[in-house]
Amino acid sequence: MTITVYQARKIITMNPVQPEARFVAVRDGRVLAVGDLDRMKAWGHFELDTRFADKVLMPGLVEGHCHLKEGGMWALPYLGWFDRRDPKGKLWTGLRAMDAVVARLREIDLQMSAAGKPAEEPLIGWGFDPIYFGGERMTVEHLDLASATRPIVIAHANGHLMNVNSPMLRLAGITRDTEIEGVMRFANGEPNGELQEPAAMFPVVRQVGGAGLLAPMDDAGMQGFAAIARLQGVTTATDLVNKLSEADCAVLERACADENYSVRILPAFQAFHGTHGAAQGAEHVGALMARNTDRLRYGLVKMMLDGSIQGFSARLRWPGYFNGAPNGIWVTAPAQYEADFETYHRAGLIVHTHTNGDEASEVAINAIERVLARSPRPDHRHTLQHGQMIDAPLFRRMAAQGLCANLFTNHIWYWGDQHYEMTMGPDRASRIDACRTALDNGVALAIHSDAPVTPLGPLFTAWCAVNRVTPSGRVLGEGDRITVAEALRAITLGAAWTLKLDHEIGSIECGKRADFCVLDDDPLTAAPMALKDIGIWGTVLSGRLFPAKFG
Amino acid sequence: MTSPRVPLTVIGGFLGAGKTTLLNHWLRQAQGRRIAVLVNDFGAINIDAELIASAAGDTIALTNGCVCCQIGDDLSAALIGVLKAPVPFDAVVIEASGVSDPWRIAQMGMADPGLSLDSVIVLVDASVAREQARDPLLADALERHLKAADLVVLNKTDLVDEPVLVQVRKWIAAVAGPTPQFETVQADVPQQLLGGHGLQLPPPGGCARGDAPHDAGRRAGYDHQHPHDHPHDHGEMFETWSCRPDALFSAERLRALLRSMPAGVLRLKGLLRTDTLDWAEIQFAGRHGSLRRTRAPVGGAAVVAIGLRTRLPVAALSDALDACQL
Repeated sequence: MTITVYQARKIITMNPVQPEARFVAVRDGRVLAVGDLDRMKAWGHFELDTRFADKVLMPGLVEGHCHLKEGGMWALPYLGWFDRRDPKGKLWTGLRAMDAVVARLREIDLQMSAAGKPAEEPLIGWGFDPIYFGGERMTVEHLDLASATRPIVIAHANGHLMNVNSPMLRLAGITRDTEIEGVMRFANGEPNGELQEPAAMFPVVRQVGGAGLLAPMDDAGMQGFAAIARLQGVTTATDLVNKLSEADCAVLERACADENYSVRILPAFQAFHGTHGAAQGAEHVGALMARNTDRLRYGLVKMMLDGSIQGFSARLRWPGYFNGAPNGIWVTAPAQYEADFETYHRAGLIVHTHTNGDEASEVAINAIERVLARSPRPDHRHTLQHGQMIDAPLFRRMAAQGLCANLFTNHIWYWGDQHYEMTMGPDRASRIDACRTALDNGVALAIHSDAPVTPLGPLFTAWCAVNRVTPSGRVLGEGDRITVAEALRAITLGAAWTLKLDHEIGSIECGKRADFCVLDDDPLTAAPMALKDIGIWGTVLSGRLFPAKFG
Repeated sequence: MTSPRVPLTVIGGFLGAGKTTLLNHWLRQAQGRRIAVLVNDFGAINIDAELIASAAGDTIALTNGCVCCQIGDDLSAALIGVLKAPVPFDAVVIEASGVSDPWRIAQMGMADPGLSLDSVIVLVDASVAREQARDPLLADALERHLKAADLVVLNKTDLVDEPVLVQVRKWIAAVAGPTPQFETVQADVPQQLLGGHGLQLPPPGGCARGDAPHDAGRRAGYDHQHPHDHPHDHGEMFETWSCRPDALFSAERLRALLRSMPAGVLRLKGLLRTDTLDWAEIQFAGRHGSLRRTRAPVGGAAVVAIGLRTRLPVAALSDALDACQL
C-alpha cells in the first residue's frame, strides 16, 4: 500500500486536541497520520509530496444546503445584480442598470441569430432581481429594445416572477383582456410584460415548455457543478431537493461512478407535495441507500413548510412583515408536516426541513417535539434549514431536542438591506441567521449558500457569518458575529454533523476520508474581511487530487 | 376563431374536507363528458378497478373517457400535459392541495387562451370548521380560500347539531359574504352546481321558467359505497330561467352586471350580441363572471340561469338583463 505524505505550510485539522500540523499521511484514500515527520515515519516507507509545502490545508469544505442546478444554469445568460463566475471560468459581471440588462440580451440575441437559431426560438435569461433597482421596474419597453422579434423570457431570482417582451406576450396570448391580477399593466391597461405568480406565468411556460430553467438535471450540469465545487474548495455537497426518479438517479449515478468526479453528493428526497406518499417515499429512499458509494449517498429527506422572506411567502410570527404585507403561505400544512415527518423519522431517515419564517420554525419545533415524545430516536440529526428568524428561546428548544440548525448566512449580504428596510425591520433583521445565539445555546451549527439562489462558496458563506455586513455598509447585529474558527467549523465538521457524516469527513485525523481544501493562505491569521478572498488551489477527495480548473 | 376554451374548475378545502370524495363522485357521473381531473396524488383517490381502462405513470385513464392525473410537484407541467391531449377534454378539474390557495390556481383558467375559469369550489368540514377558524396557523389560509369561492360546500353536516351548523354558516357568511353555500354529507353535490354543463341553453323561443333537468344519469350509474338517505332529489332542488333576447347588449353594462349579480343566481351562461365584442359568451358562477368574444351561435342568442327552487330572483334578473340592452 502506497503511503503519500503531504507537507503543508499549515494544516488546520478541526480536531480540537491537535488543531494544527505540518504533515498528513494518506493511504487508501483515508488519513493515516497527522503531525510531524516522525509520526509519518512510524508507518514505514512513504512518498513525500511537497507540492503543498507553501499551501494551507483544511478539511474539504462541506455545503449542507445547495442544489446541483448551480452547475446547470449556465447554458442560459445570467442577468443578476452581483458578479458571478460560471463553471468555465467566465465572469458574468453584475448588471446594475436596465440598460445593461438590455445590452447583454441584445448581444445574446445577435449570437443566437449568428448561430443560425430561428427568430422564434426564445431567449431565456435568469438571475434578474428587481429588488435592487429601487422602484424601477422592467417592462416590454426595455426588453423590446433587446429584440422586437425574438421572444424573450427573464426569470427572476426568486422564481415567482418573470418579465417578457412583446413577441412573447403575443405568443402566449396575453393581452389587455387577460383579466388576472398577476399580469402587470401600464396605466393605459396594456400588459407591461411583468408576470407575477404561476397563473400569469403559465401561458408563457406552456409555450417555452421544458426549456431553460425547467430543464431536468443532465450530465453536463453534473460536470458544471463539480467544476464550481473544485473552485470553491467543496468536497461534499447536498442536492437538497431531488425527486429521485429513475432518470434523476441515473444522472447522479452516472456522474458519481466516475472516480474522477470530484465531489461527494448527498441528494435529499423531495418529501413534500402530495398527501399520501410518505410511507412509499421512506421505502424508496431506504431502497436507494443500498446503492450508496463513497461519492453518492442517498438517505436524506427534504421537507418544506413555508416560502421565502423576500418573496413575502414565509410564515412570520408577530409583528409580521415590516411593510405590512400579509403573512405568507404554508407549502405543507402543519398537521400534514407532522404526520409525514413522523413517517420518515420512524423509518430512521434524517429529515431536513425548510423553515424561513419564525412561525414556520416554531411549527416545526412543536411538531418534532411531539414526534420525539411519541417515538424517541437518539442522535437523529434532524435539521432546520434556513431558520433565518430563529431566536434564543427557539434555539434553546432545538438544543433540548437535538435539532441542528443550518442557517442561510449568505442572506445577510444578499438581502440584508432589504430585510432591514422592507421585510423584517431593524430589530429582527439584526438577529437574522443568528449564529452566535445558536452556538451559545448549544445548537449544532452549519451555514449555507442555497446555491444557485446565491453562489456556491463556503468561504464567502463563512465571511458573511463572521462580518455580518450588507452591501450598503450596515453591520446587521454585531453581537451575532462568530469567530473565523467557529465559521470554519460550521463549513466543515458542523455541516458534516448535520449530514451524519462527522465520523467520516469534516476534520483531518486518522481514520477519516482524505478530503482537503487546499488554500493559498491561512484563514485563521488573515483579516476577517479578507476571508472570502483567500485563493483556493483546489481539492483532494478521498486522496485524489483535483486542482481547481474550469470545466 | 380558435378552438373553444376548456372550462377549468378548482376544488379547494383542507385535508379531510371531502375533496377526494367529491372528485370520485364527479368522475363516475361524467355522463359522456371527457373530464381530466388533476389530483395531488393517487393515494387518496381510490378509483374502482372496473372503471380503470389503463394506468401508466402519473395518469389513470377511465373507461368512460375521463382521465385522472397526479400533479406531483409541478401543476403547470401536469396541466400542460392534459391540454396537449390530441382530443381536447370537455373540462379540467384541479384539486388544490390542502393549504394551497385555490384562487392562485383558478387564475390559470383566466390567463391561458386555451382555458376558461368555470368556478372555484371550496369544501369545509362542518365538524372541524370552528376549530380551524380559531387556529392562528390556519385561519388566514382558510379565509383566503373562502373569499375566492364561487360555491362553498359545507360538508359532513351530519356530524354536528343545528346550533353548531348555524354558527358555521354565520362564520362562512361573515368571511365569504353572499357566496352560495351548499350543505351536504359525503361530499354529495349535484352536477348542476359543479359545472356549467348542467345548464342547457333553451330551445328557440321566448323566456321560460322550469325545473332543472333531472339528473337521471347520475342516479342510474352511481351507488354509494356507504348508502345514506337522500334528503331530497337533486333535480327537484333547483329551478332554471332562460330567455332568448335578440337585442343588442352593452358589453360594459353586462360586465357591471357580472360584478353585481342579483343574489340567488347560482350559475348563469349565455350567448349574446354586444356592441363592442360582437357575439359574446357570458358566464357566471357564484362570485366570478366573464364576458368573452365568441363565434356566432347557430341557434341565436340565449341566456339560462339556475338557482335553488323558490330562490331564483327571476324578476330582478330579467330586469337587470333588460337594463343591459342598448
